[in-house]
Amino acid sequence: MMRLLALALCLGLSQPAEGRAAPAPAAAITRAATDAVIRPGYARFRAASETLEKDVRALCEAPGPAQLETARAAFRDTALAWATIEMVGFGPVRAQNRLERILFWPDRRGTGLKQVQAILASEDDTATDAATLAQKSVAVQGLGALEYVLFGTGAATLAEADAFRCRYGAAIGTNLAKIAARISTAWAGDDGIAGHLAAPGPGNPLFRDESEAVGEVTDMLIHGLEQLRAVRLNGFLGETPDKDRPKRALLWRAGLTIATVKANLDGLRDLFDKAGFADHLAKEDRWIAASIRFEFAQADDALSALPARIADTLADPQAREKLAFVRVVSSSLSQLVGEHLTAAYGLTAGFSSLDGD
Amino acid sequence: MAALLNRRALLAAAGTGLLAWIGAPRALAGPGREAAFAAAYKDRDGRFGVALIARDGAIRARVALPDRGHDIACDRAARRAVAFARRPGYFAVVFDLNRRAEPVTLQAAPGRHFFGHGVFSPDGRLLYATENDFEAARGLIGVYDATDGFRRVGEFDTHGMDPHELLLMPDGRTLAVANGGIETHPDFGRAKLNLATMRPSLVFLDRIHGTLVETHRLAADLYQLSIRHMAVDGSGRCWFGCQYEGPRGDVPPLVGLARPGDAIRLLDLPGEAWAGFGNYVGSVACNPTADSVAVTSPRGNLLATFDAASGELVGRERLEEVCGLAAQAGGFFATAGTGAIRPANGKPEHVDLVWDNHVLRLDG
Repeated sequence: MMRLLALALCLGLSQPAEGRAAPAPAAAITRAATDAVIRPGYARFRAASETLEKDVRALCEAPGPAQLETARAAFRDTALAWATIEMVGFGPVRAQNRLERILFWPDRRGTGLKQVQAILASEDDTATDAATLAQKSVAVQGLGALEYVLFGTGAATLAEADAFRCRYGAAIGTNLAKIAARISTAWAGDDGIAGHLAAPGPGNPLFRDESEAVGEVTDMLIHGLEQLRAVRLNGFLGETPDKDRPKRALLWRAGLTIATVKANLDGLRDLFDKAGFADHLAKEDRWIAASIRFEFAQADDALSALPARIADTLADPQAREKLAFVRVVSSSLSQLVGEHLTAAYGLTAGFSSLDGD
Repeated sequence: MAALLNRRALLAAAGTGLLAWIGAPRALAGPGREAAFAAAYKDRDGRFGVALIARDGAIRARVALPDRGHDIACDRAARRAVAFARRPGYFAVVFDLNRRAEPVTLQAAPGRHFFGHGVFSPDGRLLYATENDFEAARGLIGVYDATDGFRRVGEFDTHGMDPHELLLMPDGRTLAVANGGIETHPDFGRAKLNLATMRPSLVFLDRIHGTLVETHRLAADLYQLSIRHMAVDGSGRCWFGCQYEGPRGDVPPLVGLARPGDAIRLLDLPGEAWAGFGNYVGSVACNPTADSVAVTSPRGNLLATFDAASGELVGRERLEEVCGLAAQAGGFFATAGTGAIRPANGKPEHVDLVWDNHVLRLDG
């Protein structure tokens, strides 16, 4: 998890004289990231989770196969909306453990799964009210828990009538919608996090200068790519097929592993494009943007025709090869962004300030 | 998988004889020019090693490492040191400060990795290292017999996750261990797996029996304040530095004190005193002769000095990406991720290496 430090913020321009206005690219990049990526991304996640809440409640009121399918489709939309915006690792999403409450993953020791199963087995009524649910373990109140409710062992009973399971699912939907609304609202105004990001300075509690602000936006790309490779892909995709662990893949029950990887990459590519990282490069650095776009397209292409069930993808040597190729592409992207793009913009990755050492 | 790659890199490095002194053999000593500090580095070509540095900042010798190193432990009487891999790391390299022998590589035990820190017993016979039993997410102290090729002779619990730095207390028997509280697993690189439920602590352990003496925890609302680095002052108190995993807008205190028998406490400074640290302290050092304590923040580009007796903040020095820190006559010797070396009372000089987070003082 690299963290950027700006030793000499050039951003394609010479250093401004003391007291002069900020260099345009830094301000343009942070503003575009807020307006064109983060705000709409959280708004989509909010809308999807509100639909999800409504659809799960509708399923509880009138159970049936069609209603279950509608609720499952709403879950897919919400999970993918989240995956396109989850690269935002700062701001309101970090308050009150919201990130973990939305998606607790990896659940390496299966603790979260056991907690969800215990709630279902004991029919713990406090899990069916969003207010009391929010006080419970982060692992039982987000997308991972709802995936198990809607797609896990015993989920088929939801189509007939499983009052408790459904009410628990609805409470998770409400919890997600509430968290999404809080994050989205916090980003919407210009007085909160968006204002801090737009106006760095000595009195700003979060960003003391422009390089910290633009560094945070660039960190989303760097960290997002590392997260995708080191956590999402390496978590289940072995170096060799015998080391694969399909049941450790994110949202495998819902058949969304590949789709979330694709959505992660879509979100990162969107951030690169819409924040305008390509727009302020010096002529001799423009190859970096072209290469980054090429790599994103390669990954997208490789992911486009894979079986949705991750076990099927892993079992098919050609499909698996494509997924392994995406891992290689993500490494190239990490290098392009973490070394070349940051160097072109005068940002350096701090060697001794990596997380937690 | 990470484990596999690292083991492979290790074997490859061992096979090619990379683990050796770099540069032609020559006398390390000379009037005022002997190596006084050691620190892990990365060179311009991306290779890793440990450098031995003189008091004036001149690099006297280098030892190659198979991958990135972190901190170093030293048996000063035997003039022998051990560099540990940065977490999650699988090697430690033992080298002789007088260059009487080629470096030797130790490998982490199966199912264990190093966290990057270690310490010798006072007689130099045993080496203790912080380690992770990563399947169980259980912090351990690995015990190595320095008189028998650093054979691993035992391990004991740190009663917490993510033990990072460890120190020997002045009684020569008690180990202070900072359990950072963050769960990681090599399958997921350096990703933090339990930020919502982390439980850092500072524990004192009896190194002879491997038993828990005391557990110290900060207030419950500071559960995301990871205790990671420590140093002992002239009164036998353990100063510790923290890294905060909570929201960036919070400004918790980052430095505190602990001692067996006393309640743990954080320094009581006005909130704005902590604003420039980026919620991250990377190293802590005490200078007993000057009665001062210093901490560094590579994120805040800050070296802060405290009066050990009063706990008052007495100095703030700006140095890009400063992290490595050790006591030196007249103050503190510091190194930075930019490659700067800043001796006490000296100016930063850049070398062609970038420094990892820690510097060890070799002469006491």
